[in-house]
Amino acid sequence: MDVVLRHWSAFTDGMTTTLELTALSFAGALLIGIVVAAMRVSPVPVLRGVGTVYVESFQNTPLLVLLVLFVFGLPEVGVIFPLFTTAVIAIALYEAAYIAEAVRSGINTVPVGQAEAARAIGLGFGQSLRLVILPQALRAVVQPIGNILIALTMNTSLAAAVGVVDLTAAANRVNLLEAQPIPVFVGAGLGYMAVCALVGLLTNLIERKVAIVR
Amino acid sequence: MSTSRVLFDEPGPIARRRIRVATVVVSIAVAGLIALAVRRFADHGQLDADKWRPYTTWPMWRYLLQGVRATVEAAAVATGLSLAGGIVLALGRLSPHRRFRWPAVVYIEVMRTVPVLLLVYIVLFGLPHYGVNLPLFWKLVAPLSVSSAAVFAEIFRAGILSLDRGQREAGLAIGMTRRQTMWIVVLPQAVRRLLPSLVSQSVGLLKDTSLGFIVSYSELLYSGRILATYNRLLIQTYIVIALVYIVINASLSKFARTLEARQGVRPAGRRRLLGFVRPRPYVAGSPHLRARPEHPAPQSEGPEPQNKIPA
Amino acid sequence: MSRTLPRRLGTALPVALATLTLAAVTACSSDSDSAVPGGQDKKPAEASAAAAVGVAPDTAILPGSTMEKIKKRGYLIVGGSQDAPLWSQLNPMNGQVEGFDAEMGRLLAKYIIGKPEVKIVSSATETREALLQNGTVDVVFQTYTITPKRAEQVAFAGPYYSSGQAILVKKGTTGIKAPADLNGKTVIAGANTPAVTAIQQLAPSAKVVTFASDPECLQALRQGRGEAYVQDQALLVADVKQYPDTTVVGEPFTQDPYGIGLKHDDTAFKSFVNDWLRAIGQSGAWQAVWKQTIGTVVEGNPPAPPAIGSAAGS
Repeated sequence: MDVVLRHWSAFTDGMTTTLELTALSFAGALLIGIVVAAMRVSPVPVLRGVGTVYVESFQNTPLLVLLVLFVFGLPEVGVIFPLFTTAVIAIALYEAAYIAEAVRSGINTVPVGQAEAARAIGLGFGQSLRLVILPQALRAVVQPIGNILIALTMNTSLAAAVGVVDLTAAANRVNLLEAQPIPVFVGAGLGYMAVCALVGLLTNLIERKVAIVR
Repeated sequence: MSTSRVLFDEPGPIARRRIRVATVVVSIAVAGLIALAVRRFADHGQLDADKWRPYTTWPMWRYLLQGVRATVEAAAVATGLSLAGGIVLALGRLSPHRRFRWPAVVYIEVMRTVPVLLLVYIVLFGLPHYGVNLPLFWKLVAPLSVSSAAVFAEIFRAGILSLDRGQREAGLAIGMTRRQTMWIVVLPQAVRRLLPSLVSQSVGLLKDTSLGFIVSYSELLYSGRILATYNRLLIQTYIVIALVYIVINASLSKFARTLEARQGVRPAGRRRLLGFVRPRPYVAGSPHLRARPEHPAPQSEGPEPQNKIPA
Repeated sequence: MSRTLPRRLGTALPVALATLTLAAVTACSSDSDSAVPGGQDKKPAEASAAAAVGVAPDTAILPGSTMEKIKKRGYLIVGGSQDAPLWSQLNPMNGQVEGFDAEMGRLLAKYIIGKPEVKIVSSATETREALLQNGTVDVVFQTYTITPKRAEQVAFAGPYYSSGQAILVKKGTTGIKAPADLNGKTVIAGANTPAVTAIQQLAPSAKVVTFASDPECLQALRQGRGEAYVQDQALLVADVKQYPDTTVVGEPFTQDPYGIGLKHDDTAFKSFVNDWLRAIGQSGAWQAVWKQTIGTVVEGNPPAPPAIGSAAGS
């Protein structure tokens, strides 16, 4: 394990990048995911269609393909971001499809009476969704979204393939220098496990706080 | 379509006009964005006919189809192995014996939180140092199976737990042993119920075979990379590859939804907003499982008259 | 020492074999031949020279040796790439692997077995030593730079090629003329290529960004993700052909002796391969392969093959 200690700063730098990637893309994914979920239940057919196409295309493309396409394709439509930003965008868009589906299934757990009551007191679609349905729906999907966050954390490792130096890429570089793959990759694995364990703990905590007992 | 109407009233004249306006605005915005992107794309010369012509030739597709075959083979073998591993692990985790339970719990919890990519690196760079050098195919399939066995285990566990307790009790009551009850009564029902989730998870696995890119196993994505270094059409190649993946996976997902629609397991329960009443088992496992549509799309009109809100 | 064998061979073997050897070598790249300046008219002369090293005599295939094992098996297992243009690139249209390394592998197979039967096993930069050690592959032809450190784990025949890293920039870039100018700049390199270490040595404060393949690196350079791209010079020359808005600055700034990776301690096989290398260098077969592959993008006459054993570690 002293290989890891000798290259401690490389590992912590990589870990920082991984955490940043995770946090930023999760924030983006949550936002986009909720919007897409709302689109998929909206009264406007075109929006529902766009939402469906979005979910279908992003859930069915490997993230690795998306990353490569975004890194090299976006500049060809005249949009160029730094590698890190591009990776954040690609991961956020990809995971948003999963979040959208989770939120939609959360909407499904809300009893019909809630929506009927909202409409009865004169709330429109946007209002009832925002004020009545979503707050309840989101509480029901804390666990699934936590699981998506865990998957997202692990998926950030793919950014290493497009030049982002995250924990995985850092480990790979250290291994190139030291040729001690087992301690190096096990060390990195422990890093990911720590992050995921933390996410799991937080998820349980939040769920216990906000869950609605029906 | 009508099932999602719970969230909004049958539109009146004003609402209908609003929906029309929104439709037009959204359509124009989407079309505009696409047009802009395509235009920019063309300005960069990426739409030039000769950059796309190679993709109209048969040898090219013959090559890509070989990649598809390799992808499907890897995904199929990995699915088979992780299904088997998943059942064993799930039974282990549900076992009353601690010596079975603990190893299963540790395995599942560790593998759920370690990126597959790291496992791939260990098999790729680590094992050869210790004299273990797997064939290329297994360098990809082994880490995938090892990792997703944990996910399948959690799916199975959730399915087994979601089954009515009475089934198990009935089995035991007529004198079956615990093992017989599990294999003859519980598992068959759980598996049927889980079929859609299992297919969805296989889609996830099929996407993960794109890690062959790292291992240089000639699945679809790696074939794409070789193609790109050969014809130097990086962007076109990856667009084609992405489309092929979407077609394969969308058909698989559709298959999962068809399976689900056929099942008709709909125990009585509270009316739900989007019209699906099947209880969702708590699954600690994959987001693929949780997030993928476990139900027919909202447009489909399920046989659930109680959900139809009279307009 | 069987050093003298191929030389005797050079005069012994009939010219007729020449056409066969070259035909096998040229089979998959016949259209690119015409692009070689002056390639056509020199061919007959080279062909007769190449003939000289058609097949090793039976006496060279020592009983119990690696050569005998390969000959019995009927094909040579080569650790290599499928995605290295000019060196070892799969042609998806016909399933042939093309390039300098690939052709050398076929020549060696022909030399041992009598026919150019080669099976290429994809190997990653990090796994080549292991593949050789546990006998998964017989030889590695994969732009494998000879270093004393690697030579502790594997044996190197050769060097069979002396390459150099060069710098590619977008046209109009100023201030980059030599490797030291890369300091403080963002430099693109292929993941796991010798360029990464070369940059770190010669321009320690350069920020290195790596991508998986040459087209990706090239695209990244053109899209401005870095100011320079360091890669094997021959590859860069090919890149400039495709995108004239890029240009190679200066001359190659490193000397990378590429060797043929062999199992450590297999001295008999090593001297056998070295004899073969000397023979193809003298007969002109080496030069013919160069013309078919690297010569299609790099102008001028083939360089002289490097002297066997000239690199530390070989």
